[in-house]
Amino acid sequence: GHYCLDINVLIIVFTEMRDKLRKWREDNHRNSEQIVDVGEELINEHASKLGDDIWIIYEQVMIAALDCSRDDLAWTCLQELKKQFPGSQRVKRLAGMRLEALEKYEDASKQYDSILQDDPTNTAARKRKISILKAQGKSAEAIRELNEYLEQFVGDQEAWHELSELYINEHDYGKAAFCLEELMMTNPHNHLYCEQYAEVKYTQGGLENLELSRKYFAQALKLNNGNMRALFGLYMSASHIAASPKVNATVKKANVKYAAWATNQINRAYQVTKTNQLPVEELLLRSS
Amino acid sequence: MPTALNPIEEEEEELISLVLNMVSSFWRGVVGLGLFALAHAAFSAAQHRSYMRLTEKENETLPIDIVLQTLLAFVLAIYGIVHISGEFKDMDASSELKNKTFDTLRNHPSFYMFSHRGRVLFCSPNREVSTIPNAQALPNPLQLRKLEHLH
Repeated sequence: GHYCLDINVLIIVFTEMRDKLRKWREDNHRNSEQIVDVGEELINEHASKLGDDIWIIYEQVMIAALDCSRDDLAWTCLQELKKQFPGSQRVKRLAGMRLEALEKYEDASKQYDSILQDDPTNTAARKRKISILKAQGKSAEAIRELNEYLEQFVGDQEAWHELSELYINEHDYGKAAFCLEELMMTNPHNHLYCEQYAEVKYTQGGLENLELSRKYFAQALKLNNGNMRALFGLYMSASHIAASPKVNATVKKANVKYAAWATNQINRAYQVTKTNQLPVEELLLRSS
Repeated sequence: MPTALNPIEEEEEELISLVLNMVSSFWRGVVGLGLFALAHAAFSAAQHRSYMRLTEKENETLPIDIVLQTLLAFVLAIYGIVHISGEFKDMDASSELKNKTFDTLRNHPSFYMFSHRGRVLFCSPNREVSTIPNAQALPNPLQLRKLEHLH
């Protein structure tokens, strides 16, 4: 009767919480406040139902706790993991991350060095050392180390994307574009890499780069016609090319046509969502 | 740290665990039954074949019940497996990415830094945090005391 209904609700709530955490984990969401909320509740009240999932949840919650300055929770999670997996490299790395969060960069670095001594191929520890350089503001060194890392581990897409971000921060758009080219090669169906590449080319400026950027904005749209940022990018690059004094009449005409098409598409998208009362910001942030 | 649950909550927890286990065990049972029935049908077919060879009636086809058992066991096993395995993914590689945003693409978990505003924003009011993150902060006695128990 009434009690059965409660159980059903509780089961649904529990499975929802666990599945949400998994989704956030798999999709690399960094909504740390939420993760700490949901994760802490799961750990404290539903530990028995989680089974072996609990260990990976401890890891996830610990990292989120470090983001939210919840050092108490991070410490608890770390202790549980240390108890269950003594001498594990992965747990050592988490201990190092905690030291990083407390700004004890020397100690953290020593921790990672000890991991690398035992296992020189451990990529996680190398990447943490690079993050320490980033956190200390030593961007040139971080870039150098990351380049060295990528010479050895050419397939590490996360690292390529990280390097592209580091180059963008240094305004070295040429090298950032190179990194994004690597990513586009290995992920030809990913519209976001196309779009980001187009944006970098657009930022570099110059007629050649503008034309390239227009082409890649178009490619991003081909892969995902809902990508608003690519649509705006197409409009901007086509308009700039059309306005440039260096182009001949045919190119100018073609780009005016592209810009007009883009304007049309943008207006239509606004019409559709105007009825849904979406604020402009949300529209711009979609697929961005 | 799991906090102590009162007796009523503990009972609820146990019931929930039990139900969840039962549900997954049921579908595992279905797959097991389907596979067993499939094996049994294969064995029967082999037996029938050797019987045919012995009685020299090699042109007779498999009896209908063996065929039916094979097909039903197949369907049962597939139906059970679908319930055990996770959610299906789209075949089109780009459609999966239609909802992906830079929000998540830009996050590189292996390179996460913690030297951001979160360290200060989420700080509870009675804790003091150094306001000069990267410089050598002077040892703050309060901060040191708070950090001591964490070593």
